[in-house]
Amino acid sequence: MVKQLTHVRTNKLNRYTCALLLTGLMLVGCRRVTDLGPVANPSAAAKAREALLGDTSGGEGSAEVVTGTGWATLKGTFIFDGAPPEMPPYNVNKDTAACTIHGKAPLQETLLVDSATKGIANVAIFVRKASRVHESAQATNEQVLFDQKECVFLSHVFPFVLGNTMDIKNSDPVGHNTNIDGKNSFNQTIPVGETIAFKPQKEEAVPVSVRCSIHPWMSAYFLPRENGYVAVTSEDGSFEIEYLPAGEDLEFQVWHESAGGPGSSLVLTTPEAKELKWSSKGRFKVKLAEDEVKELNLTVPSDAFGL
Amino acid sequence: MSTFKNNNEFGSRLMNHGLRTICLVSSLVALNLAGCDFHAPQFHLNMVQMLSDATPTPKPYQEQIADVLDGMFGTPDEPFALPETGLDIRKLKMSAGPAWTDKKGAAFGLYRQHCVHCHGIDGDGQGPTALFLNPYPRDYRQGVYKFKSTYNPAKPTDEDLQRVLINGIPGSAMPSFSLLASAEIESLVEYVKYLSFRGQMETALTNYVYNDLGEEEITDEIGEPVLDDEGEPVTKLIPLDPENDEEQRTAITEMLAEIVEGWNEANEQIIVPEEDAIPTDVENLKALAASAAKGRELFYGTRANCMKCHGPTGLGDGQQDDFDIWNKAHKQFLDSVADGSGEPQLATEREEVAASLYPIRNAIPRNLRNGIYRGGNRRIDLFWRIYAGIAGSPMPGSGPASPGAQGTLTEEEMWNIVDYVLSLPYEDASRPQRALPINTELVN
Repeated sequence: MVKQLTHVRTNKLNRYTCALLLTGLMLVGCRRVTDLGPVANPSAAAKAREALLGDTSGGEGSAEVVTGTGWATLKGTFIFDGAPPEMPPYNVNKDTAACTIHGKAPLQETLLVDSATKGIANVAIFVRKASRVHESAQATNEQVLFDQKECVFLSHVFPFVLGNTMDIKNSDPVGHNTNIDGKNSFNQTIPVGETIAFKPQKEEAVPVSVRCSIHPWMSAYFLPRENGYVAVTSEDGSFEIEYLPAGEDLEFQVWHESAGGPGSSLVLTTPEAKELKWSSKGRFKVKLAEDEVKELNLTVPSDAFGL
Repeated sequence: MSTFKNNNEFGSRLMNHGLRTICLVSSLVALNLAGCDFHAPQFHLNMVQMLSDATPTPKPYQEQIADVLDGMFGTPDEPFALPETGLDIRKLKMSAGPAWTDKKGAAFGLYRQHCVHCHGIDGDGQGPTALFLNPYPRDYRQGVYKFKSTYNPAKPTDEDLQRVLINGIPGSAMPSFSLLASAEIESLVEYVKYLSFRGQMETALTNYVYNDLGEEEITDEIGEPVLDDEGEPVTKLIPLDPENDEEQRTAITEMLAEIVEGWNEANEQIIVPEEDAIPTDVENLKALAASAAKGRELFYGTRANCMKCHGPTGLGDGQQDDFDIWNKAHKQFLDSVADGSGEPQLATEREEVAASLYPIRNAIPRNLRNGIYRGGNRRIDLFWRIYAGIAGSPMPGSGPASPGAQGTLTEEEMWNIVDYVLSLPYEDASRPQRALPINTELVN
């Protein structure tokens, strides 16, 4: 009897375990956590396949784009509205003798506001597509200097026209490597005092980051474009783009590394920005008349930087 | 007494039987409810990219991208490749689908038999075992591979991928598959490339949708914008619909062509060392020692700068703060989720995806005293690493970045470093050599 009772009890225990395991399985399931997001709809996929298998060449007969004549200029300023943030020093934890000035680490440049004019430096503004490019905005096969000193990239936001050559220089007594993200993907050691020439080939839609793996605090941004319709604001927040094609809708992209929009695009909702139909991707469109010089003086509230 | 006992036994057996049935039935119900995937596995999207701060992708677009990708590449069970990809569909079919063997003994479903548990069905490097591995398995979707014979930004050649499959990756969990038939290796290489093509196409589509599609203002019959109650223009999403939009079809064809071109170019991007730059006759120990001595000087000097990351003793204990591109992408995503930036409408989804990611790891420079070389231990393997750097990792190259470009070191100098690195494991470990004075005084 006694023997049998224990037998029954163990069975019971087994059953409880079985039930517990099953409940557990029921609750947890065995889906992977990474199986998130939608999956394809077979009938829609079949249609897409058929379309892409078809002949896609000879599709040039689309509506003609209006291209005007003559050239125009867009210039302006980005002025900060609010209390400018104080820049903390870079976290220099290697090569301190070479990477500090009198023992002090250089200040970061994530958001530079000029104390006198309140102008915002390092805002990138560029044309997304242009049907005509003036010769002054085309690459001239130039060597453009990209230097680093005291373990700081001297061009914090570096606009670049494809076709030119980038001279990556190291003006420090310590070695660097320059690691450019994105489609051009460059990563090479730059020895003390030397200059390495690099010819990027591909355009980027927004600036990509440039780092040094040896000194990870070093940070800059690189913006290669197919034409010279690109500007980066100077210390007083001003910019000017000359010889833009007049008579067509030009879409500009505006970017700042600390801006709160998608991909660090600068999104403005001020009345003057609304007039330009400034989008949630930091873009606006203008159509310039021949020889027009359009001036845009934009106020940027601190909340555009999430401050 | 005995009848009673029998009755009791009978009763308990009956009860046992009943409970067993209940157990079985409930287990089946439970499994069905829990959705333990008995159905065919499906490709999923790269949600880190879909919900990233740079390309926030609304749900309808996610669905449309999944549809277009399925149209272009099929499913894990039924792979497909457009003719312009140049992918061999027969090779793909050998690796795709569930694992089985036909009557003649030919194996199918090779990817699921050998690879999926680490590299995942999407090739995202997040298979069930991935969490327990260090380094994490490769995510193929960026099309970036470390151990190859080509220039840094170039794709690997088929031979490069085959070499990794045959040799495995020493020092990682990647085993050797040298026992597989060569046709099977070729099929797996084709399938890995297929997963890369698919992943790269997904990135291209995500960028395209963000950059060139998106919201459009609705206009009425006379072309005036339709306004809502607050006077704001009403917008709608321009659908990703290559079936009905010729411009999109052309754009997609161009994106695919660019991806395919990158892979097809790999064979022209192989780094072939100059014969006369190979300075050392490895049989000649004196010459080898002289070459290693020059290499040592470069290793610790400010021109090659190896020591900055690999450390003053070559233990890999120099700069350890950087990340590889795969961890960096996840880190950027986690940081942006943590600081609450990004599209508010996607916030819940973003948090869900963030919670599903594995812990971020730093890229730790290789300990060169172990004598374990992940990309192979031949002199040419080390030469390629030093020449081109290691794509995706912080390791920079010292040779030209592309054919004809300007290098940092000469080929001879790079061979010197190869010789020194190969001799490093045999240096006295208890009295490691110190760095040269030229670089030590700057290290604080």
